[in-house]
Amino acid sequence: MRLVRRTLSSKWLKTTFALGIALAFMLPIVWVFANSLRPGAETFTWLNPLSFQTLIPSSPNLDNYFALLETPLGRGIANSMWTTFLTLVFGLMMCSGAAYALSALEFRGRNLIFSIVIFSLLIPFDAIAIPLANIFKGIGLQDTVMGLILPGVANGMAIFLLRTFFLGIPKELVEAARIDGLSWFGVFFRIYLPLSRPALIGASLVLFLFQWHAYIWPLLIGTGESTLLGPIALANMKSQYAVDYGLVFAGSVVLSLIPLVLILVGQKHFVQSTTTSGIK
Amino acid sequence: MKNKELLPALGLFLAPALLALIGMRLIPAVQAFVESLLKTNVFSGDKTFVGFDNYISLADNPDFQNTLMVTLLFTLIVNPLQVVSALALSLLFVRKFPFSRLLRSLVIFPVAVPPAVSAVMWSAMYRPDGLLNSIFTSIGIPTQGFILDEKQALMSIIVMLSWIGVGYWMLFLLAGINDIPDEIYEAAKLDGAGYLRTTFSVTLPLLSRPLSFVLVATTISNFLVFAPVLILTKGGPNGSTSLLMHDIFIRAYSFGDIGRANAAVFILIGLMVVAVSLQFFLLRRGNEQ
Amino acid sequence: MKNFLKSSLQFASLGLASALVLTGCASSTTTAEETSAAAPTEDITSEPITLSFMGPEAPETFVPVIEGFEALYPNISVNYEQIPFDQLATTIEQRIGSGDSSVDVYTVDQPWLAQYAAKGYLEDLSYLSDEAQAAMPEAMYDVNFYDGKMFAVSVWNSTQMMFYNKDMLDTAGIEYPSADPAERWTWEEIDAASQKIIDSGAAQYGYLLEQVIAYYQFQAIAESAGGGSGIVGDDMLSLDLTNEGWTKALTWYQDSFESGHQPTGVGGFDTGPMFSDKKLAFFVGGPWDIGIFGGNDVNWGVAPHPYFEGGEAVTPTGSWSWGMNPASENKAAAAEFLKYASINPEGNLKTTEALTIVPANAEAAAAYLPGLEGDPRAAGVANIMLYETQNTARTRPTTVGYVQFDSLFSAALEDIRNGTDISSRIADLTAAVDDAWMLFK
Repeated sequence: MRLVRRTLSSKWLKTTFALGIALAFMLPIVWVFANSLRPGAETFTWLNPLSFQTLIPSSPNLDNYFALLETPLGRGIANSMWTTFLTLVFGLMMCSGAAYALSALEFRGRNLIFSIVIFSLLIPFDAIAIPLANIFKGIGLQDTVMGLILPGVANGMAIFLLRTFFLGIPKELVEAARIDGLSWFGVFFRIYLPLSRPALIGASLVLFLFQWHAYIWPLLIGTGESTLLGPIALANMKSQYAVDYGLVFAGSVVLSLIPLVLILVGQKHFVQSTTTSGIK
Repeated sequence: MKNKELLPALGLFLAPALLALIGMRLIPAVQAFVESLLKTNVFSGDKTFVGFDNYISLADNPDFQNTLMVTLLFTLIVNPLQVVSALALSLLFVRKFPFSRLLRSLVIFPVAVPPAVSAVMWSAMYRPDGLLNSIFTSIGIPTQGFILDEKQALMSIIVMLSWIGVGYWMLFLLAGINDIPDEIYEAAKLDGAGYLRTTFSVTLPLLSRPLSFVLVATTISNFLVFAPVLILTKGGPNGSTSLLMHDIFIRAYSFGDIGRANAAVFILIGLMVVAVSLQFFLLRRGNEQ
Repeated sequence: MKNFLKSSLQFASLGLASALVLTGCASSTTTAEETSAAAPTEDITSEPITLSFMGPEAPETFVPVIEGFEALYPNISVNYEQIPFDQLATTIEQRIGSGDSSVDVYTVDQPWLAQYAAKGYLEDLSYLSDEAQAAMPEAMYDVNFYDGKMFAVSVWNSTQMMFYNKDMLDTAGIEYPSADPAERWTWEEIDAASQKIIDSGAAQYGYLLEQVIAYYQFQAIAESAGGGSGIVGDDMLSLDLTNEGWTKALTWYQDSFESGHQPTGVGGFDTGPMFSDKKLAFFVGGPWDIGIFGGNDVNWGVAPHPYFEGGEAVTPTGSWSWGMNPASENKAAAAEFLKYASINPEGNLKTTEALTIVPANAEAAAAYLPGLEGDPRAAGVANIMLYETQNTARTRPTTVGYVQFDSLFSAALEDIRNGTDISSRIADLTAAVDDAWMLFK
């Protein structure tokens, strides 16, 4: 009896504590969302003194969201979704393959090559973006979808993450399969991949965020019909002389929704829910 | 091992990524390094070899020296802060309690927001008449300067970055904790170990791989941070938030000083190599114990 | 070859200049023949041509001028590409700098012109100089010149004026400032009025400069204090920010925040809402604010930009010019587009249809300005703007190092605004700018 009561109250204690933390994290976002429901000119009017109105607009409307329809943001989001999807597909193939080779296969020079992967992680992408863009232009990738996604598919961080996970797969499984005559290709598809759902989702998150938040690179490559991406369309909404925060915040909400949905869905698989009752 | 035998497998699995990394990261990096050894005449485009002059010019420059100090200070604060916070949050959210999944998602939400947007959000929040100060004044705390105050600016940037990142890193640690088999916990309980004891002797050691990943990845991504500085403080007040990547960005994209921008890039890479190697070394030592 | 051409052109223009001084009148045809680069002569009316035009504004802004141009030349279509303002310089650097021919015409922020001209990013448009001179006020003509040649054409101009909240002045018992430039207020009078307004509780602050940490805004203050533009030297790559005028201006500036007359913390273009939200009484802003404030419920009026007692009246000016990519493959068509958008008064007027900004073309400006007085609160603004652009406007100094200077200067102003010791901060600024300018030496 005592045990049950203690567990119950300590559970609700945790909920309260977690609620406090979650609210603190969500506060800026709630404020941005509230401001997206009222005219931009009112963004800073309700801050001093603090009142209900700060976070809950008195007469919310969707005007800003309707105004978004007249901007290229819709096209930008569609383009972002397409390029991110391509980056995910090709990126996962490439990075998981490399991570596999660097963990399951033993060959001379493996550590050297892994060091190269880590080193590539250390190269600030924005610092090499200009010379890389010049190379791409030289080979005709200016203003192309291919040009947009190529730098994103080979992601050192994703390879690092996947390799970390792959190293945890028991060698005995692999040895047994190899003795049974399974090729390295088979080992990858039949053993490593099925066991790696969480890591693959984690790597997808890494690849996704790199491409979805990309800003400098798409600008250098070109911003035509099919290559204008979401974050740039959003930045274009800041005119030189005034910022309509209502519009910008509405655009931000929309631009954040898609990664949010994906994170929420992916999170479930990434963090396998425990079936036991909280021993940990 | 038998390299020849593995060649077809390596060709299929490793070659594409390796070629991509070499072509799209390493080769431009080599180009950047070569540029750092040149002085380019802005008007004629002529390039002259100047050896390490660009590096020396940076090292002698008091503003750059300040940037290095600020970056080091930043690194020493932000990384332990974020990793420990992510760890603490993961230990909380791994428990089952009402609404845990929903609340967990709210903590992760910030990473979905485009970085430029986060910066705009926080610039509005940090204003003297912004959201944070209005909350403070309503509970009796005097108005703070935040990004206008030389002593608070760096911490303000750190808080903003942690808001974005901590939920994200927490995810990786959560996955790691969940990988630990339940039997180990049951055994510990049978041995009479309490919560703290279990956490330190069981959870943490078994979490070492994901923890090392998070530590290294956090360190690297924090070294590369510049958007909040660009949008919120531009390196000020008085250079107190002048991070190295921001300095590089301004030099390259605003000033067009390619030679010294690339030299600064390699100084940054050098710092990161040292930091990451140190971490790998310490972690390996820790693992061996 | 380039050097020979350059020096012979310089010699020719020097000779011509002396001749002009002696005769006392401009012989425009001679100037065109002897010193201009040759105009492109290919036929542009037969084949379909596509021009690509790059700039930071929202596409709606340029729809009228593009449609007007396309109506004149039905076989030419103009494609506009918007680049976010923060990235414009980088994009120009990367695309034009690498000889990318996919951009024909692009917008040039006037203070950047010297740098781009020096780097060869702009086509020499001197063959248009006579027409430009006839169409523009002097400042808008001179601003496109570097090293004796004209590299762009002015499309927009700007000036600054002071908006004031009549209700707040009433509460504090202060007479409204006159809209007559001859009765311009001084900064000293603004400070005195602000103190009264704050004391009477009419407003939280006294006044605010719109681009409060930008050189664009501050230059006029330093110049009025007698300090000059701050950039000196034959190569215009030296700083002089410690003279008496600059010290006076910077001290006044810092004091205005310390005394609470101006608020800290807001910058960029977040300043306008402070006036619309009735937090201050005087706001120094640009023509675009007439449109923006047209939507608020403040009982405002307009007066000329203040000056320092005993000093000169100086106002900020300058805006955007358009230039041609030397790698363009459609130079004749591009030249016609440029002419239409700047030298042709109708075309130039069309560039201002979608937003409130001053057309650079003199005839277009005269037609445009009275239209700004649609809102009764803006009474007198047309006369103010005409007067300033013709009499007190001072463009930013022509230096190849402007971009670096501007960026470092803003950072210094922000620190000074927040209370940093002025002389040490200026010393740091000078050192930083000198270091950045090593690129050009």
